[in-house]
Amino acid sequence: MRTFEPRKLRQTILRMARAGSTVHIACAFSIVELLAVLHRSHLNLGDRTPRAAGRDYLVLSKGHGVMAQYACMYELGWLADSDIESYFHDGTPLKGLADAHVPGIEVSSGSLGHGLSVGVGLALAAKRAGTGQRCFAVVGDGEMNEGANWEALLFAAHFRLSNLVVIVDANGFQAMGSTRDVMDLGDIADKLRAFGLETREADGHDEAALDAALTELTHLASDRPRALVAHTVKGKGVSFMEHDNRWHYTRLSADTYAAALAELQTCSSGERFA
Amino acid sequence: MRNAFAKALIRAATDDPRVVLLTGDHGYALFDEFRQVCPGQYINAGVAEQNMVGVAAGLAKGGLRPVVYGLSAFIPVRVLEQIKLDVCYEELPVVFVGDGAGVVYSVLGTSHQSTEDIAVLRALPHLTILSPADCWEMAACMEMAFHRGGPVYLRMGKADLGEVHSCRPKLMWGEPYSLQDGDGPLAWIATGSMVRAAARMAANWPGSSVYSAPCLKPVNPDAVAAICRRRRAVITLEEHSVYGGLGSAICEVASAHAPTWVCRVGIPDRFSRFCGSYDYLLREHQLDDKSILAQIERFLAQVPDQGCFRRLDVLGRQAA
Repeated sequence: MRTFEPRKLRQTILRMARAGSTVHIACAFSIVELLAVLHRSHLNLGDRTPRAAGRDYLVLSKGHGVMAQYACMYELGWLADSDIESYFHDGTPLKGLADAHVPGIEVSSGSLGHGLSVGVGLALAAKRAGTGQRCFAVVGDGEMNEGANWEALLFAAHFRLSNLVVIVDANGFQAMGSTRDVMDLGDIADKLRAFGLETREADGHDEAALDAALTELTHLASDRPRALVAHTVKGKGVSFMEHDNRWHYTRLSADTYAAALAELQTCSSGERFA
Repeated sequence: MRNAFAKALIRAATDDPRVVLLTGDHGYALFDEFRQVCPGQYINAGVAEQNMVGVAAGLAKGGLRPVVYGLSAFIPVRVLEQIKLDVCYEELPVVFVGDGAGVVYSVLGTSHQSTEDIAVLRALPHLTILSPADCWEMAACMEMAFHRGGPVYLRMGKADLGEVHSCRPKLMWGEPYSLQDGDGPLAWIATGSMVRAAARMAANWPGSSVYSAPCLKPVNPDAVAAICRRRRAVITLEEHSVYGGLGSAICEVASAHAPTWVCRVGIPDRFSRFCGSYDYLLREHQLDDKSILAQIERFLAQVPDQGCFRRLDVLGRQAA
């Protein structure tokens, strides 16, 4: 059976969100396929322990989507059912934003515009040491409002960080509305190309397309950093959350939890997942 | 003192290939020799300080020992959040060097002056704050910074005031270093550029004790309390705001462990208004010798048993 099955990852996210009565569910849902493909086929996880020597770095700069990464860590066995069920309970370690004190999370983020720069430093350190490690940095399109990210892109291109893959989760929304209404980025891929990155675009929920784009990017004979614009749907996977930005901040009730879980437990053919 | 910094940096980088220098397009001429001796360990990160600090954090996580150089108006103030989250939260071994601290850039105005850097940094956990007074303290502080193994801010103020020490002092973490020990009722504790002023002022009150405080964080409360206990009053001097710097740190210890009278001499709660020489700016902020003396006279006059403070008169005689 395939690992990192998106439907199962979303179920884990829902369980956590319900246990912790948390927000940011939609932020996590948009990057589920992306993190699944990265974990399944691209990240070198070394000996599959959280701080394995020689591992590739996964930097979740859009820390608001951290529940998607927790779901992958649960699948890896780095988190237990008790971690999922006790989310946000007093004295527990898993926070609502990415926190580097948690083994498996590389960079503390959530204050936006931090992770990419740290990821650039990780990529540079690996390149100088010739370790062959790569850094995959996931940023949000809303997060690209932050000037520090553009500083980081300039730096990455100037220092030819070919082991850096910047992945933009282009879900078209940020906290208070659509990116077009709040701070229009225009064509992100054009901007990344203009900054000197080898850039590709893909449907962020089409695992085959993501896999192909990442494979192409990581095998390019080029000394430039790479970028993938993943076109995604905020809230993807649960019909009433998709394209509805209220799910940036809405918490699950007993009813919405049951309804969302029911959708994720039923695939289009009617087959049920555990 | 800047020379001592550059030399210590070259020594550190040649001793340890993990040391890398990042600068935000600052340090003209200062790093010429470094770039010749250690070209592969020099990174000009461009005029982009936020990214530079994030990159430094990533380099440190990747096993390197970054030194981040900038003007103290930018490193640390502009990048405070990166220092907090990217570096201090993870206790990464990154050394920040803030050059031109205080009102060194007197003619450039408020944008390049830095009188709040110690205050904003003191509340960050894990961060060590060093503020050397001369080339000898600089050499000692650089060695301490590289041995610390965690985040360090090294504050470099007015650098051409001459030497305080005649040889390298043995500095202890968090302890003011005694320059002059006396049995009088006044102790003077100063940091960086103001150590010489403290020594000059103290000469007016025979028996004064004078200390240089190159390590502003951590502070050893026992050492500071011992100084406070022995004296009727303590005078602190710094080229930094009277809020949140050395004076505040001394008061925090004194109030909890050894209550005494403390006079905090520093930059008043105001920005520089005019342009002019460094000495002019000190006068504008009442940090020239004459203004400091007047402040201290006013302060001592309100201490209940002020009779114990016997100042020399204009002819150098002890008052009756």
